[in-house]
Amino acid sequence: MKKFVVFMLVGILLVGTMTFAAKRTLKVLMPIGGGYTIEDQEAIAKEFEKAHPDVDIQMEFVGWGELWNKIITSIGAGAAPDVMYIGSRWIPALADMGAIIPLDKYITPEKKALYYKTVWDTVTYKGHVWGVVRAMSTKVFIYNKALFKKYGVKVPTNWDELLEAAKKIYHPDQGIYGIAMAGKKFVSTVTQFQQYLYANDGRIVDENGKVVINDSKAVKALEFYKELSKYAQPGIIEWKREDLIKLFEAGKVGMYIDHVHNARKAMEKGIDVGFFLIPGGPDSIKRYSTVIVTDCISISSQSKNVDLAIEFLNFMTSFEKQKEWDLKLGFVPPMVKEKDLPEFQKWYWKPYIEAIKYGYPEAVGIKDWEGTQDAILDAIHSVLLGVTDAKTALDQAARIIQILQK
Amino acid sequence: MKRKAVPYILLIPLIVAFALFLVYPLYKVVETSFYKASFLNPFYRQFVGLENYKWLFTFKLFDPKLSYFLSAFKRSLLWVAGSVGIKVALGLLGALLLNSKYLIGKKVYRTLVIVPWAIPWAMAAMMWAWTLNSEFGILNSILMHLHLIKAPVTFLARPSSAFITTFVVDAWVGLPFMIIMILSGLQSIPENLYEAATIDGAGDLTKFFKITLPMIKPVLLTVTLLSTVWTFNSFDIIWILTRGGPIRATETLPIAIYNISFLMVRFGGIGKASAMTIAQVIFVSVIAIFYIRTLEKGVEA
Repeated sequence: MKKFVVFMLVGILLVGTMTFAAKRTLKVLMPIGGGYTIEDQEAIAKEFEKAHPDVDIQMEFVGWGELWNKIITSIGAGAAPDVMYIGSRWIPALADMGAIIPLDKYITPEKKALYYKTVWDTVTYKGHVWGVVRAMSTKVFIYNKALFKKYGVKVPTNWDELLEAAKKIYHPDQGIYGIAMAGKKFVSTVTQFQQYLYANDGRIVDENGKVVINDSKAVKALEFYKELSKYAQPGIIEWKREDLIKLFEAGKVGMYIDHVHNARKAMEKGIDVGFFLIPGGPDSIKRYSTVIVTDCISISSQSKNVDLAIEFLNFMTSFEKQKEWDLKLGFVPPMVKEKDLPEFQKWYWKPYIEAIKYGYPEAVGIKDWEGTQDAILDAIHSVLLGVTDAKTALDQAARIIQILQK
Repeated sequence: MKRKAVPYILLIPLIVAFALFLVYPLYKVVETSFYKASFLNPFYRQFVGLENYKWLFTFKLFDPKLSYFLSAFKRSLLWVAGSVGIKVALGLLGALLLNSKYLIGKKVYRTLVIVPWAIPWAMAAMMWAWTLNSEFGILNSILMHLHLIKAPVTFLARPSSAFITTFVVDAWVGLPFMIIMILSGLQSIPENLYEAATIDGAGDLTKFFKITLPMIKPVLLTVTLLSTVWTFNSFDIIWILTRGGPIRATETLPIAIYNISFLMVRFGGIGKASAMTIAQVIFVSVIAIFYIRTLEKGVEA
């Protein structure tokens, strides 16, 4: 009998401790690929768990290409992760469907002051902030100094000079092309075209929500894209921006627009690399331009642990952690203070950080990015293939985007 | 009594799996096809009857003449015809070659021929993307060295060439299966038929049309049917090579269904994508029934 009582007591105690020790779990969705590894991200989770022994972070990983589908299908299934890493361009669609929560009340003035204003613009929709930026990029032209010297080309400061430079370097018989360009059905192709669109003071949707992708500035930008493509590698529709580095590394192209980490890759391969900011087009009063792309961390409206999710979000995006992340992955620092770090003083970082002040967000005000992207890609293809002229192609895109903006 | 029940008991796992992974999802697709539903608004569903099916023929965003569904369907038909055509023609040729008495080292070839089929499709498509690349691709390099072309061919950059290239790559992946299956058919033809024909003075062509072809007809029909169904559902290869581009040149039905459910969510949504899927299922089932009928007739004859 005595034995039985002891046994029971021990049993009750055990069950009791187990219930008390029941951990709070947080589901986190993270992308992999493009420099993002499982190890790096799990390290952050481990560190957070160490400081919060009662928390279990369950990280789920998915390739960048599948991230959007994964997010919308998990929301549809009512099993959305608490914390989601998303492209900021998806914010309007996710916010409109009520899938993510506005974060205004959780963001302290100190936190807000850490970032550039443009950075917050990329995650603001309908007057609310929907995410905290995790990664940012600006882009500038990377050029091959040896090829510029060989063909007597000066660093371009406007579009005419840019075209002239591409023309002079273009020697297809030797496998040398003036510029590398992207045309494959891919998000990065739209961003590449947007560089010229913004440089010419064009927009997809203006500040008042009006679709302006078919105005004269945009038409000129697309016409220029086509003109420039004559001096690019053949069949640019085969290429996505992510693969252009292979051409540049091989010393086959004079210049192209890309990230700093790819420029450094080319340096390691022995290319003498120079940089110049994307020059403004004929209709722009700004000297330079760049598209600001950010990824951010948002919180699901299905989350039952919002406070814990916010805590984790703040942990991930603290100055210390953000600094580590940007240095590790080679992203443009979204926090103002970061630019004083020794690494960001290096010469190859300078143009990218300088570009921030000329930047405009990739997708601000665009309600359905994926649909908009598709319409713009069709327009780019039609023009590159000579099916229609730039005006007709962009009119068609504008017609579709107008429906999407409703 | 007990013994009679055994086969049914053994069938249970299969039936459960079948119900769980085929019947239930299919039922859900049919159900969804009658609703207005979208991933963008998961908790809102509205019964719309046959609206989604009507939409298949009325949604003309990109082409004023032909609806989105019909143009994708038309593209799919041509694409499948091209791919299956190559698979059957080269499959038959390859099988005849591997079955030939005069070929030395048959075992080596038979092993090698299965390789494309053993590679994961996505990887095969990636491999081809770089093989076809105009700057670094080996195919252009060979053609240039042979002086067959003056400048590199950009296979995936033009609508018509991208269309052809994607189905040729699809055929490359599917060919081994065809060869192996047809080969097994060829090997089952009794040798004495040919001997008798030779004695009667029949030529090689006569033997092929009077003996070989009729004898392998059931196999040929089966693999053509299977291949048509598989090819109709082919997604990975196009998605990796062109994503349905340039413009919409390679947007076959599976790609279009994907676009409608995930990318063009505001125009489409899963309700409409489900209707497209059901239309495809019906079409593929009709082919299946048609072939099975022919097959039965062939066997009876």
